[in-house]
Amino acid sequence: MSADDTQQAREQLIDLAAQFYDQFELGEIPHMSVPTRTKNNIEYDEEMDVWVYGDRESTRSANSVRGARKLLKAVYTIEFLADQLEEDRSSTLRELYYLSESWDNDEAQFNDQDESNSMVEDLEIVSGVTREDFHMRPEESGATLMGPLHLREQTRRGEREIHCQEDVGEGGYQIPNNPDTIEFLDCDADFILAVETGGMRDRLVENGFDEEYDALIVHLKGQPARATRRITKRLHDELGLPVTVFTDGDPWSYRIYGSVAYGSIKSAHLSEYLATPEADFIGIQPADIVEYELPTDPLSDSDINALESELEDPRFQTEYWEKQIELQLDLGKKSEQQSLASHGLDFVTETYLPERLDEMGVL
Amino acid sequence: MTSFQSTLGDESGIAEELAESQQSISIAEFFEKNKHMLGFDSGARGLVTAVKEAVDNALDAAEESGILPDIYVEIQEIGDYYRLIVEDNGPGLTKESLPKVFGKLLYGSRFHAREQSRGQQGIGISAAVLYAQLTSGKPAKITSRTQGSDEAEYFELIVDTDTNEPEISVEETTTWDRPHGTRIELEMEANMRARQQLHDYIKHTAVVNPHARLELREPQEHFKFERATDQLPAETEEIRPHPHGVELGTVMKMLTATDSQTVSGFVQEEFTRVGKKTADSIIDAFRDRHYGREMRWRPPTTHEDIDLHGAVEDATANKGAEATAAFAEAIADGVADHDRIAHHELLETVESAAEAVEDEHGTTFGDTVRENAVEAVWLELIDAVETDEGDGAEGDGDSRLVADLYDLADEATSTRKDDEIIHAFADRLAAKFDAELESDEEDAGNVRHRLTRTDLREHVDRVADLTEEYDDVSFGKTARENVTDAIWGVMATVPDDPPLVRELDGDRDATSDLVDAMRATDIMAPPTRCLAPISEELITAGLKKEFDADFYASATRDAGVSGGDPFIVEAGIAYGGELPAEGTGDVMRFANRVPLVYQRGACATTDVVKSIGWRNYGLDQPGGSGLPNGPVVIMIHVASTNVPFTSESKDAVANVPEIEDEIELAIREAARDLKSYLNKRRSMQQRRKKQNVLGKILPEMATKVAEVTGRDEPDIDDAIARIMNNVLVERDVNENGDGQAVSVVVENNSSTNESLEITDIVSAEPTALSDGATVVEMDGEWFVKWEPEVGSDDEAALEYEVPADATFDLDVKGVESEKLTVNQ
Repeated sequence: MSADDTQQAREQLIDLAAQFYDQFELGEIPHMSVPTRTKNNIEYDEEMDVWVYGDRESTRSANSVRGARKLLKAVYTIEFLADQLEEDRSSTLRELYYLSESWDNDEAQFNDQDESNSMVEDLEIVSGVTREDFHMRPEESGATLMGPLHLREQTRRGEREIHCQEDVGEGGYQIPNNPDTIEFLDCDADFILAVETGGMRDRLVENGFDEEYDALIVHLKGQPARATRRITKRLHDELGLPVTVFTDGDPWSYRIYGSVAYGSIKSAHLSEYLATPEADFIGIQPADIVEYELPTDPLSDSDINALESELEDPRFQTEYWEKQIELQLDLGKKSEQQSLASHGLDFVTETYLPERLDEMGVL
Repeated sequence: MTSFQSTLGDESGIAEELAESQQSISIAEFFEKNKHMLGFDSGARGLVTAVKEAVDNALDAAEESGILPDIYVEIQEIGDYYRLIVEDNGPGLTKESLPKVFGKLLYGSRFHAREQSRGQQGIGISAAVLYAQLTSGKPAKITSRTQGSDEAEYFELIVDTDTNEPEISVEETTTWDRPHGTRIELEMEANMRARQQLHDYIKHTAVVNPHARLELREPQEHFKFERATDQLPAETEEIRPHPHGVELGTVMKMLTATDSQTVSGFVQEEFTRVGKKTADSIIDAFRDRHYGREMRWRPPTTHEDIDLHGAVEDATANKGAEATAAFAEAIADGVADHDRIAHHELLETVESAAEAVEDEHGTTFGDTVRENAVEAVWLELIDAVETDEGDGAEGDGDSRLVADLYDLADEATSTRKDDEIIHAFADRLAAKFDAELESDEEDAGNVRHRLTRTDLREHVDRVADLTEEYDDVSFGKTARENVTDAIWGVMATVPDDPPLVRELDGDRDATSDLVDAMRATDIMAPPTRCLAPISEELITAGLKKEFDADFYASATRDAGVSGGDPFIVEAGIAYGGELPAEGTGDVMRFANRVPLVYQRGACATTDVVKSIGWRNYGLDQPGGSGLPNGPVVIMIHVASTNVPFTSESKDAVANVPEIEDEIELAIREAARDLKSYLNKRRSMQQRRKKQNVLGKILPEMATKVAEVTGRDEPDIDDAIARIMNNVLVERDVNENGDGQAVSVVVENNSSTNESLEITDIVSAEPTALSDGATVVEMDGEWFVKWEPEVGSDDEAALEYEVPADATFDLDVKGVESEKLTVNQ
């Protein structure tokens, strides 16, 4: 990122503080409005083909003790971020949480990390600057990527050119925190296969699936980090690769697919930048449980609630998903990716994936 | 007794023997043995009761004479005995009545009066005298001086328990420093274990009698309760009894005593709330009970084969064809004009027909002719004409009564009942009416079909029983009641004159019908001028006088009626302040301004207080029922011409539903005020807390914002005032030539209108004052006064000009300090 961008991000943050200043001076109650981040307030943007926030806003106002505390924390966070940008350093979300402990004001300290995370999200939305531009990283290292892709990464220690099959170990290529520093050089992959669990990713790599089918295997590591979603989006947009998502067959995994394809509720302001609406779901589909006679676990109460809440989630209100979710509620069962091993270790690479991908028209 | 009875046959003299040992006992003797009934069951209690009786008497006496009571109570310890002295400033007693008041039980002026007073039976003080003489053997020493007399009367007396008469041992005149009043001195065996109750009694008396001055001196302590008002309770007026509250025996006595001739006059004269109209309603109700109503049958319709015309003509002889025909015509038309017709209505119809035809045709229709016509038509109407073939009803199917009763019964019973069943029922009921014709041998049967409701119900019951038996269906209570109601509803009250008072006098059954009739008639509630509630204002004053609390509320309900006696319930609540915060709240109970100190648990007032959900009113109530906890005193006053007590010792109000309801409403009314006070206090506390936190956070935020933006610290007062929904008063001073222009701006950020009193003290004379402000000079300082009313979200400004060197000092009142921000 250029120094200009950093400077601009910093100015936008300080503008926000100035806004509070002006409110004080005008005798107004300091306040800040952000879109309500719930599933009831996301709308489908037809133009961009992604889900974005609707019109509903929540106001953080100094009217109440809670609101005043929140704004005080916001100002302290702004100061911290502005300083960080000035010094061209970066920090993780978790570091921000711990760092607040060192602030001179007890009232400004965060109570838990959810609070500091959501504060950064607020500032992101209000200032229009992304978290990455604030130099805020998630604490976990990014996920990995494996497949016939040649790229150049701009690191703090200079440029590196990497082939994501030949230059990496079995662990694959580590996706950097800000994938916009990557330049794609060459790509022999036919499609992207995003996999939820580490176990399945390792199975695919061990079985040589990426080589055999020219697949770019992206490890999602559960709910995918922004960097993972961003690089997936870039690979799709810039190289025209179809995106497929392979997860467990339970409601929580459908949400993983949802955040790849439609964007997450918490980062709907960035959907346009992170979501890949063309991504397709491979499975495990509830229909697969029946078709492949997979071993199952019964749905728990929280699973059922989650499925029912998905039926009300506008992102899942498509014919395909309503049918699958209702089928699963009827079955009362769920299956993991690894349950495919009940038919042998090679079943997934030799039978299940080829069949499903063929069905989906990817192969 | 059984053992005596078994020997009755052998010993004839047993009854005589028993009779010898039977003798009448005097009331005084009776109470001597039953002291507990009057509250003298122990030494501790006896002392409290004696004080109570003496003080109640003293208060009543003073108030009745329009004197503000001033009462002195002293208790002295004399060896094993206690001496009780009670002095009042009442009107005093005459030489003649004094011995009886103190020395004879059941002597008093109040027993027969329907008026609110403390004492009622005339037992209390003489019972105290009796108790004293029984336990100490000493006579009561009484001094009394009436207004204007030079000397006071002094008596020493005891109650002669055999005769219930005073026995005077000393009678002389003496001097006394009080210009008028009474003093009683009793010596009794007692103890001070009930000291707390004694103090409660005196203190509570002071609360409900804010117009009285009380002083209590006992061996250990000395209390004085000063007056809170000079206003005597409103004078009460005696009222006549209310018809709903009298018993049969009372009415019989009243009938003997009255000067009225007629029942109508009697009820109007002797009872309250009875005028001509109400008297008529009572008499109608009396007729229904005493004489019964007459059944009204439907007149024949055209398709019925009944020829009233012919029947009249047949019954009328020697009156000429034309006149007879006109007579018959007039009667038939008259009957047809009725929806239903009763015997006495038929009588009227025939009378008017006869008179009309007499006028027109000049023929006289005498009594016999009229009677014959009535009988002929009536027998047709009730289908009871004797025919040659035998019983008329059977000849051509059902009697017409059956059809009539069928319709009534069908209407009144549920649709689930079979038509045939109803028909069978109607048939049997009609037979009952037919049977009435022969029932009473003395006056040729009950031809007129006259029944009381009780008779009717008996018939219905019998017939229903038969129907159940023969038709094997159930004919329940409700159905019987409904049918009875339906038939009773169409029956007509008879026009018979009610008996005269002298006829009623001594006739127990008829008088009982009259009492029933009075109870059944709707009568306006009795007047309340016989009651003297304390009033909301004085309850609060009384509570304030005796309890140092933060908040007081009171409520006086409108009068209600229970058993013919009017009553008023009042409640008061004191909260907070110096009241003990630990433990349960206190309940003070009063009846006719007398504190009730014993048997708290048996009292209706306590029951009601316990049944209220005090949590709804912001008080702590463990378990959600029972007495509330915390610094609270709840006061309840029941005023009535006849407070229903659970016993003669008058310690607890009985559980009468009407009174309990009013007690609850009164308490809830006062409790609502308490609730809004507590809510307000809570919201002020929250506001203070919020102010404290925000008062810290916002300046810090402002400092930080200034740091980040690199500017000077912003002014945050306006923002804070707005956040706190506060009223902001701000001074703005501008140079203006040689002097300065001052403006004091009031900005109301709250959601309600605010009235402020602003005083600006200026060291030099202000000029060019804005409208509404006034200025007063005092010792070289000018007080600018301004009392603006500022609406919600509005502002107002005070403006003036002063020389440049002037100084100011702003004082703002009218807004709670939590809601006010002043910027000088």
